[in-house]
Parts: sequence; C-alpha cells; structure tokens
Amino acid sequence: MKIEATQFEKAILLKVSGRMDAENAGEFDKACDLWISQGAKHLIADLADLQYVSSMGLRSFLAAAQKLKSLSGSLALCGLKGLPRQVFEMTKLDSLFPIYETAQQALAAL
Amino acid sequence: MGSPFERLSLPAKVESVRLFHEFVRAGAEAVGLGSDDINKLDLVLEEILVNIARYAYKDGAGDVQVAYSVDAGSLLVEVTDQGPSFNPLDSAPPDLALGLADRPIGGLGVLLVRQIVGSLSYSRRDGQNTLSFRFPAPGPIST
Repeated sequence: MKIEATQFEKAILLKVSGRMDAENAGEFDKACDLWISQGAKHLIADLADLQYVSSMGLRSFLAAAQKLKSLSGSLALCGLKGLPRQVFEMTKLDSLFPIYETAQQALAAL
Repeated sequence: MGSPFERLSLPAKVESVRLFHEFVRAGAEAVGLGSDDINKLDLVLEEILVNIARYAYKDGAGDVQVAYSVDAGSLLVEVTDQGPSFNPLDSAPPDLALGLADRPIGGLGVLLVRQIVGSLSYSRRDGQNTLSFRFPAPGPIST
C-alpha cells in the first residue's frame, strides 16, 4: 500500500493505492492522525487505485471518520470501485461516508 | 472426489497471511479463478486468519493450518487451529443500521466472510477448530 498526501485549501487528499490489509492498515491510521494533529478537519481518501481492502482497513476508515466527525470534520471517499466498493457495500459502510466519483467533486462539495 | 488436500502450517500471526495467500494461489489458478475472485478468496482467508492470530492463542504462540483441495471446479478450503473451542459463526452480527458515531469499530470480518462464501461450516474435533468453505460459493453470491 502507498499513501500520497496532497494539501488543498479545504482538505487533505490522501491517495491510497495497492492493497490495504491487516499488516499495513495502521499506516493509514498514522497518516490520518498526523493530519488531524496538524489541524486538518476534512480528509478525502482517493481509492481509485486501491485494489484490496479487508476489515482491518475498514476499521481504519471508520476510526478516522469518527475522529473527524467529533471535530465537526469529515472523511470523504472517492474513486471507490471493484472489490473495495463491494466491501463497503456489503458492510453498509457506504451509507456512512460521503462518496464521490472524483477528488475534484469531493473538494467542490466542501 | 476432489484432489488430495494440499496443506501448509505456519505460526498464527498476521505476518503469515500473505504466505497463505501465495500458498492457495496454485489452487486458485487450477480452478481458473480470475483476479477479482482471487482477491475475494484472499479477503476470506485474511479475515479468518487474522481472527485466529488475534484470539486463538492466549500466550500468542501456536500454528494455523490452511488446506485446500480442487473439487468440481472450485476449491474446498479448511482452516484449522488448536486454540480453545471457538465458533466465530456464533458471534452476533454487527448492527449495520447504526450511524457513524455509534458504529463499533470491528466485527465486520465474519460478516464479509459470510457474504462472500455464502455458507461455511465449523467443527470441533480432537482439540482443533476447523472452518471449511467452498470457493467460489455455489450460486449467485460470489458473482
């Protein structure tokens, strides 16, 4: 898994690519915690190049979204497709996140 | 009658999951699974194996075995540990209707396994827990 962060005026875009599993999901937690500790309120996870996510990855998305919600912020998702999209749908987590087709749409919605 | 079972035992640790993924790859290719289905099989195995790695052995030391057989165009998969008797299928399903603030972080692994493989069975025999399932699941669930 690779995480690339880009800072925009209203949000931090985290492009997550590869496979997010039990061994590496903690890296996403750390990336989110780092930006939250620096004052970020809105994070956008671009998952267009994410090929695989297990329940440990879902925990990380959920934990970050809950932290941001308590700060009146948000974690939005974009580019969700393939197995990751199915996993979000099977667990009904897709109803708990703002989901957009593209990062531009997610940024425009803030 | 399926092929003889191929078996691999490794320490019940999160770090072993990728080795088990590589181990079942030969079986997945033998039944002609595409990359989408291989990812789903990987997911099912990860969920079961991580559960065992986290909960099966109180002192943290113990092995888990994955076995598979090629049978009628699908894989029969068995995952066995020697931890205390524990049937993950008995755990209460998470409440998917809860909102973001109230959603518990966790409990989704077994749900994903059930959704992908449809049915799986648990047995306790000779001091061992075994979960077994067929992949792809018969019927429309694994499409």
